[in-house]
Amino acid sequence: MSNSGSNRGGTGWWAALRRPSAKYSLIALLTAGFAGGIIFWGAFNTGMEATNTLEFCVGCHEMRDTVFEEYKYSIHYSNRTGVRAVCSDCHVPKDWTHKLIRKVKASGEIWGKLTGSIATKEKFEAKRLQLATNEWERMKARDSIECRNCHSFDAMSPEKQQQTPYKKHMQAKLEGASCIDCHKGIAHKLPKGYKDPNAKDAEEW
Amino acid sequence: MKHRQTLLIAAVAASFSAAALAADVEAAKGLAEQNNCLQCHGIKKDKDGPSFLKTAEKYRGKANSEDELVKHLNSGKEIKLADGSKEKHKVIKTIPPNDAAQVKNLVQYILSVQP
Ligand code: HEC
Ligand code: HEC
Ligand code: HEC
Ligand code: HEC
Repeated sequence: MSNSGSNRGGTGWWAALRRPSAKYSLIALLTAGFAGGIIFWGAFNTGMEATNTLEFCVGCHEMRDTVFEEYKYSIHYSNRTGVRAVCSDCHVPKDWTHKLIRKVKASGEIWGKLTGSIATKEKFEAKRLQLATNEWERMKARDSIECRNCHSFDAMSPEKQQQTPYKKHMQAKLEGASCIDCHKGIAHKLPKGYKDPNAKDAEEW
Repeated sequence: MKHRQTLLIAAVAASFSAAALAADVEAAKGLAEQNNCLQCHGIKKDKDGPSFLKTAEKYRGKANSEDELVKHLNSGKEIKLADGSKEKHKVIKTIPPNDAAQVKNLVQYILSVQP
C-alpha cells in the first residue's frame, strides 16, 4: 500500500514526460512548443524551397540534356530585362495545397526515374508527349495560373505589343482562353507526335 | 514532235526542282508548330496571314525565292495587314538558336505546298 503512490507516478523518462511539470510553467512549455513548431515548419519549407531551385530540377541527367538544354535557349532563361522564370515558376503552384499535391506527384516522377521508366534520354523522349500532356492539362485546369503570376492580359500594351497578337489576346480574354491554349512549347521543344490543334484541317499537313 | 520534246524536258525539269525542294516535312511541321506560325497561317487556308499555298504560288518559278523567305522569317520585317496598318512579322526561333538549316528546310517545305 505504501508503495502504490510512487508506483502510480512511475519512473524513467516516460513517467517524467507524463508527469505534470512542476519546473516549467505552462507558458514556457507553450513557447517552447511554438518555437519548435516554427523550426519544424521552417525546415519543411526550406526543403520545399530547396527542391524548387533550378539546380535541383536539373540535377538529373535526363532533364539536363533535354528540357533544360532547350529552356536555356528560351526567352524565359535570358532576355532583355533579366527577369528569369525558373522551372518551379511554371511547374510548381505557389499556394500550399496545390504545391503539396504537385510535390507528391513529382515524387512519382522521381519514382519513374529510379525504376527506370524515364532513366535514359531515349526512354524520356518516349514519355515526353505524355508528360507534356499532363502539364498542359494541369495548366489548363487552373487557367495557366503560373503564367499569370507574371503575365496578364490587362498589362499588355496595345502600343508595345504587335497588333495581331494584341487582338488575339483581347479576344482570348473575352472568350476565356488560357495562355497554354496557344503557347505550348514556350520553354521546351514540343514532343514528337504532338499535333497542333491549329492545324485543325488535319489533311492540311 | 518538237512540242512533245519540250513537254518532256519541262516534265523532267519539274521533277528535278521538286526533288530539290523535297524538304524534311516532319521537321518543317515541328518548327512551324514550335513557333506558333499556324495561329496566323493555314497550310491552304488564309488566316491573318496568307496560306502557305498562296505563298508557294506567289514565289513559284521566281529566282531567290528561298533566300527572300528566309530573310522574311529572320528579320522581323514590317508587314502590311489587311486593314492597311503595319506591324513587325514574327522572327522565327530555332533550337539551338540561329540554325539556318532548320529555317531553310521550313522555307523549302512552304514553297513546295501543292494545291
Ligand atoms: C517568372 C515570371 C514568368 C513566368 C512564370 C512566365 N513568364 Fe513568360 N515571360 C517572362 C519574361 C520576363 C519574358 C520576357 C520579356 C521580355 O524581355 O521581352 C517572358 C516572355 C514570354 C513570351 C514572349 C516570347 C517571345 O519570344 O517574345 C511569351 C509568349 C510568354 N512569356 C508566355 C508565357 C507562358 C505561356 C507562361 C506559362 C507557361 C509564362 N510565360 C510564364 C516572365 C514569365
Ligand atoms: C488565342 C490564342 C492566344 C492566347 C489564349 C494567348 N496568346 Fe499570346 N500570342 C498569341 C499569338 C498568335 C502570338 C504571336 C505569335 C507568337 O509570338 O507566339 C502571341 C504572342 C504573345 C507574346 C509576345 C508578344 C509580342 O509582342 O512579341 C506574349 C508575351 C504572349 N503572347 C503572352 C501570352 C500570355 C501570358 C497569355 C495568357 C495570359 C497568352 N499570351 C494567351 C496567341 C495567344
Ligand atoms: C515558362 C514556363 C516554363 C519554364 C520556365 C519551364 N517549363 Fe517545363 N514545361 C512548360 C510547359 C508549358 C510544358 C508543357 C509542354 C510544352 O508546352 O512544352 C513543360 C513541360 C515540361 C516537362 C515534360 C516533358 C516535355 O518535354 O514536355 C518537363 C520534364 C519539364 N517541363 C521540365 C522543366 C525543367 C526541368 C525546367 C527548368 C530547367 C522547366 N521545365 C522550365 C513550361 C515551362
Ligand atoms: C501574328 C500573326 C503571324 C504569325 C505568328 C506568323 N505570321 Fe507569317 N505573316 C503574317 C501576316 C499578316 C503576313 C502577310 C504579310 C504581307 O502580306 O505583307 C505574313 C506573311 C508570311 C509569309 C509570306 C511572306 C511573303 O514574302 O510573301 C510567310 C512565308 C510567312 N508569313 C511565314 C510564317 C512562319 C513560318 C511563321 C512562324 C515562324 C509565321 N509566318 C508567323 C502573320 C503572321
